Amino acid sequence: MASGLDFEMGPAATTLREELRALVAEEVPAGYLGAFTDDPADLAVAQRFCGVLAERGLLCLAWPAEYGGRDASVWEQAVVREEMWAAHEPRGAQYMGVNWVGPTIMRHGTPEQKAQHLPPIARGEVIWCQGFSEPEAGSDLASLRTAARPDGDTWRISGQKVWTSYATMAQWCFLLARTSREERRQQGLTVFLVPMTNPGIEVRPIRSMLGPHHLNEVFLDDVVVDAANVLGAVGDGWRVVQEVLAFERVGIARYARCERLLETAPALLGQAWEELAGELRGRWARILVQCRRARLLAYRVLALQSEGRVTPGDSAAYRIAVTRLDQDVAEVLTEIVAAAPLDGAEGEEFRAEVEDHWRYSQASTVSSGAIDVQRVLLARALLPAAS
Amino acid sequence: MNTDLSPEATEFGREVLRALEAAGGDALVQQAEADPDRRQTVAAALADLGVWELDPRGDGDELEAAAAVARSCGSWAVPYPVAERLARPPDADGLVLVDEARPQAAVAGLGLRWAAVTLDGRRGPAVPREATAPPRTTAFVTGLDLGPLDDGGAGDRAGEVALALALPCWTLLGMLDRALALTREHVLRRTQFGRPLAALQGVQFQVADAEVERAGVEVLARYALWSIATGRPEAVADALALRSAAIDAADVVFRVAHQLHGASGFCDETQVSWLSRYSLPLRRLPFGPTATRERLTRALGRRGLPGPYGAAAALGGVR
Ligand SMILES: Cc1cc2nc3c(=O)[nH]c(=O)nc-3n(C[C@H](O)[C@H](O)[C@H](O)COP(=O)(O)OP(=O)(O)OC[C@H]3O[C@@H](n4cnc5c(N)ncnc54)[C@H](O)[C@@H]3O)c2cc1C
Repeated sequence: MASGLDFEMGPAATTLREELRALVAEEVPAGYLGAFTDDPADLAVAQRFCGVLAERGLLCLAWPAEYGGRDASVWEQAVVREEMWAAHEPRGAQYMGVNWVGPTIMRHGTPEQKAQHLPPIARGEVIWCQGFSEPEAGSDLASLRTAARPDGDTWRISGQKVWTSYATMAQWCFLLARTSREERRQQGLTVFLVPMTNPGIEVRPIRSMLGPHHLNEVFLDDVVVDAANVLGAVGDGWRVVQEVLAFERVGIARYARCERLLETAPALLGQAWEELAGELRGRWARILVQCRRARLLAYRVLALQSEGRVTPGDSAAYRIAVTRLDQDVAEVLTEIVAAAPLDGAEGEEFRAEVEDHWRYSQASTVSSGAIDVQRVLLARALLPAAS
Repeated sequence: MNTDLSPEATEFGREVLRALEAAGGDALVQQAEADPDRRQTVAAALADLGVWELDPRGDGDELEAAAAVARSCGSWAVPYPVAERLARPPDADGLVLVDEARPQAAVAGLGLRWAAVTLDGRRGPAVPREATAPPRTTAFVTGLDLGPLDDGGAGDRAGEVALALALPCWTLLGMLDRALALTREHVLRRTQFGRPLAALQGVQFQVADAEVERAGVEVLARYALWSIATGRPEAVADALALRSAAIDAADVVFRVAHQLHGASGFCDETQVSWLSRYSLPLRRLPFGPTATRERLTRALGRRGLPGPYGAAAALGGVR
């Protein structure tokens, strides 16, 4: 009979996982909660860590060899996503460049754009931000208004972006703007690669419960951008952006951090774990099963994707499961932390991690596309005749 | 990595689905309720396909085939303990996992030799009691008189216990598949306010949420099967994890199925009402959601759910 089920990721993925864990243990200081804090030391950690990964060819191992990558398998890529997210993404905002900016430029960029942008992304030296959302264009992205008009060899862009993560630290913006009015709103959109230092760009941070750097406003006032910085064809922006969203389809491996935090709690508590209310430990067990469920749904999407069989419904089901998971885990963890005697430095660090997780998880069902839009997509797949 | 059953197992499952349709399909459970002896039709139809020759304990491929069979049987709410028979030890016709304090199973009146096993791996003979109420209310559940249990030891019996936990979950998965498929058909067909119910976003969201639950059970069921086939030491925990998720999912899926069928969903003419009633033994025996979770919690201890992806806590705790 042909082979059946196999949930092993293979020896290369396992070795890679061990290598990444060892690097994290060595390079990332205790208590690190990500690069996006007010402490410049955290940003420095991410920059240094990217350098370490790049040196070992681990930063862009998913990239094809011709662009300096290793053609890594989807399972090795999954391992990178999992280990990095579990450790509070020590690559900082650079992960966006590696995950989708670089690959999109490979696909649509001119030789000059590739030569200019891919090497610094591969070295982890550059931060990109994503300028899609606008005050009037959230879930309904195609209604965006930021407009670019041609002016000789340049374009002049005016409008406003919002929620733009890392805009204060970014050197470049992957910007979607309207270049013409067509019958369908999805037409007439174009992607621009915009240096954040161009005159006319103003970034205003938005104070939020998520912490610094996650949300910003970006104002564009007659910003001049070279025609050479158009990515892909003029008017083809919607298609390019759909590809970006497809790269983000599996997105960040939220389940990996969830699982690590959940497993850390009893390890830290030791005997005191058994003194927690039985019902709370029951919720903990249940949510661990939900972590596994999300992980396996992710693997299913990856397996289908690599066979070219994935449907929008498959990835939507995963996205719904994993974003809700993030919030459910946060509720259980905050309850454990409130009830448990977590003393000493390790206990304090764990509390801080849980507090950070709770706040950030509140956004998981909104960022990268609201969960309800995923529910619409899944329903469309299940009830095709109705849509 | 392969997240699908083997093509042979999948095809065998389809064959079983078709054969059971030919043998009566949805009518099988209805006829059996009226005349319990009609259940032998199911056993005979499955015998014709060679189902009883499968050896899920001995061979990973046959284990997958057995799971596919159980799932197909669930689709038709087959009123016969197929998963339990497929899990049989060498010296009995079938195996049920029991709660020793209150052993019972949906095996009334079949005249078979049963064995029972406890979660900690002790096994012995089990004799179904005479049914005291009609299947209309019991769905063939009856008490079991247990003979002496051996002390097989959880270590040796882990695979067997995991099998007895996991295979019935595949039956339940088949029921969820069907309940959701029927619900999808219904909301596309049923028109209110001048359009199909399926055009209403509130309805779409319920269907989407139910599908997330169903799809989640599917991946966990596959994982648990693989864990059994490869003899992983934590196979019982994996099967308990599956069971816990499957019965929680069943609550959601059946509630949505009933809700979206409206009053029609309670009628004997509507198959959802049969699936719903006959799913209950699978969801409550040997342990319901709370007791299953309690046992899962105990099995996880302070370790969590180990797997081949590296113990998460081995990342070094909080670092
Ligand atoms: C932490 C964070 C980081 C972000 N980073 C970026 C970034 O870097 N770049 C960028 O461009 N954007 C970014 N975003 C914006 C993000 O893409 C949008 O928030 C998201 O697309 C939703 O848009 P909105 O917030 O305007 O909500 P709205 O579109 O106003 O929707 C509000 C709510 O209405 C409901 N809803 C919306 N549409 C439907 C529908 N069709 N059916 C049913 N219900 C519906 C949903 O519950 C939704 O949450 C970020 C957001 C967050 C939270």
